[in-house]
Amino acid sequence: MATSARTAPDGGAGYPPAPRPGGSLRDWVRNGGLIRWLGLVGAVIPLLMLGFVLITLILQAIPAIRHNGWSFFTSTMWSFGAQYGAPVTTGGIAHLPGETFGALPQIIGTLQTSAIALIVAVPVSIGAALVIVERLPRRLASLVGGFLELLAGIPSVIIGLWGALTFGPFLAHHVTPWIASHAPDVPILRFFRGDPGNGQGLLTSGLILAIMVIPIIAATSRDLIRGVPILPREGAVALGMSDFECARRVTLPWVNSGIIGATVLGLGRALGETIAVAMVCGDNLSQVATNLYATMTTIAADIVLNLDTAIQSPLGIKTYAELGLVLMAITLLTNVAARVLVRRSSGTALPVGRGL
Amino acid sequence: MFPLFGAWQTAYNTAVPSVMITTAGTGSGTGIADAGTGTATIGASDAYLSSSNMSQYPGLMNIPLTVAALMVNYNVSGVKKPLNLNGTVLAQIYSGKITTWNDPAIAKLNPGVTLPSEKIVTLHRADSSGSTFLFTSYLNAQDPGGWSATNVGTTVGWPSKASALAETGSGGMVTGCGATKGCIAYIGISYLSKTSTAGLGEASLANKAGKFTEPTPAAINAALASFSGSTPSSGSQSLINTSAPTGYPVINYEYAVVKKTQPNASTASNLKAFLTWTLTTGASSKYLSAVSFQPLPANVTTVAKNLVSSISG
Repeated sequence: MATSARTAPDGGAGYPPAPRPGGSLRDWVRNGGLIRWLGLVGAVIPLLMLGFVLITLILQAIPAIRHNGWSFFTSTMWSFGAQYGAPVTTGGIAHLPGETFGALPQIIGTLQTSAIALIVAVPVSIGAALVIVERLPRRLASLVGGFLELLAGIPSVIIGLWGALTFGPFLAHHVTPWIASHAPDVPILRFFRGDPGNGQGLLTSGLILAIMVIPIIAATSRDLIRGVPILPREGAVALGMSDFECARRVTLPWVNSGIIGATVLGLGRALGETIAVAMVCGDNLSQVATNLYATMTTIAADIVLNLDTAIQSPLGIKTYAELGLVLMAITLLTNVAARVLVRRSSGTALPVGRGL
Repeated sequence: MFPLFGAWQTAYNTAVPSVMITTAGTGSGTGIADAGTGTATIGASDAYLSSSNMSQYPGLMNIPLTVAALMVNYNVSGVKKPLNLNGTVLAQIYSGKITTWNDPAIAKLNPGVTLPSEKIVTLHRADSSGSTFLFTSYLNAQDPGGWSATNVGTTVGWPSKASALAETGSGGMVTGCGATKGCIAYIGISYLSKTSTAGLGEASLANKAGKFTEPTPAAINAALASFSGSTPSSGSQSLINTSAPTGYPVINYEYAVVKKTQPNASTASNLKAFLTWTLTTGASSKYLSAVSFQPLPANVTTVAKNLVSSISG
């Protein structure tokens, strides 16, 4: 066995100890050998799984990547082609006549819904965390905190159901028509104008995601804010700062990097959330949303809704592997970006905040 | 298809307790793939196998078991009797060229009917679905110029338009249409009692002869009669857009998808016994009427039985 060649007497950091010659299995277990082995296996399995998933996805996706080319990222045409046509072969890859895949709507949709979710969720969560820690009496605070954690535990399919049956129609009947006709016709805000939709689409998906992300960011922020020492805050109040100034200049800068981390956790949830979005997005495979209320789709929702069609097409299933890779890449990139942000901001988050 | 298989399973497990059948409701694509890879013994599908299916999973065959139809339903204020619609108008509605119910094109098909100016909200299936395949097949068969053949399938790239909703499952279509004034939807006939309860209207669709028919048993059987004589021995046949003047234009065989060569002799004989049972005892109105399906005509039953007997272990 390879490990028995390692000679560190205690097994060394991370290495299982070699069973001593003549030592019984019982001694080996008693000396912690078993625990170390289990630890090693436990540490390696997640890595292997990640590698396995990645390799499978890449192998599956290669023909699709070659066939779809760059237009996969620039085209908005997503068509499985004539399902009962005879498969044709171009460039050695079999596909159905008319089968073309441009994932721009899915990619943009994923980013848009996540952006809406964070724009709504971050201020609400931080506000909630501040109120829970600094304003509410302890009993009420633990009650509200408990509810937040309960919200985090609601299965996403339930939130999706509520979104599809209650929240979406409510928005379409009572909220979006007013905004759509009253928003000023200027750049950016023009996106709020136009057809108010029917309750499925970008706004509903984004808000549903916000509801799912709020407990994650709020609960983490609450724990972070609770950890801010009382002295700097008392100092700030003694200097005549209002509550708002104290929060903005002392409390929040103190936990800046932590809140960015919490936001990234929330973003990860928003990017990958599948079933709730699938239920309220409107499954529009071939168009980037023209306004805030238009139907759209995300990568995850598209995969879950249309996999059954994709497995019937030689190219379709491979294209969904490629789509999965894109989602993994987006998640990875946002994670890396967040790490960079945390590192940069953590320099200023120490004992006193910026501006003091 | 799934509810019927559930009823068949319960009855068959009682009649033949030695054979245990379990069912799972999935999309047609999953059913076909599972039958092809051997995960499932029987896959069920609203549509016959495509040439792509055949090349992906050689050795699969589709055995017709019953006959179903697809309804076009709507929720339009003040419209009492069935609206007349054809493939051209439906294609224009689903591409966003017709946006209100009182559009001249719809009015022309419905002389004497007062149509409201309600906005049309088109419902389509969010999940991959055999209903979508049947509906888009009808649009393409009636108006190849208005609905292209590349947009026929279980998932299609619906033309982008305002006022569209995507619903999951036939049940979602019924609920969604019931809750949306001005909606139009396509729903399998097995949901007939639910669409009636939800108060949805049911369209009379134009067939190839240009006559408008409702999906009554008589109209379904009239359409069936125009096709069944030419059902090939493989069982693969599209029953869309009948030329029979009294026939309903969107009907289909419901198929069992099985591997011709089963892993062993006992699985093969059990499978053959069960499929034969579905074609005889299971084809009685006791099971079919609950889902508004029709039994196979005699000559297609023979085609199906021949396919069953070709299964080997």
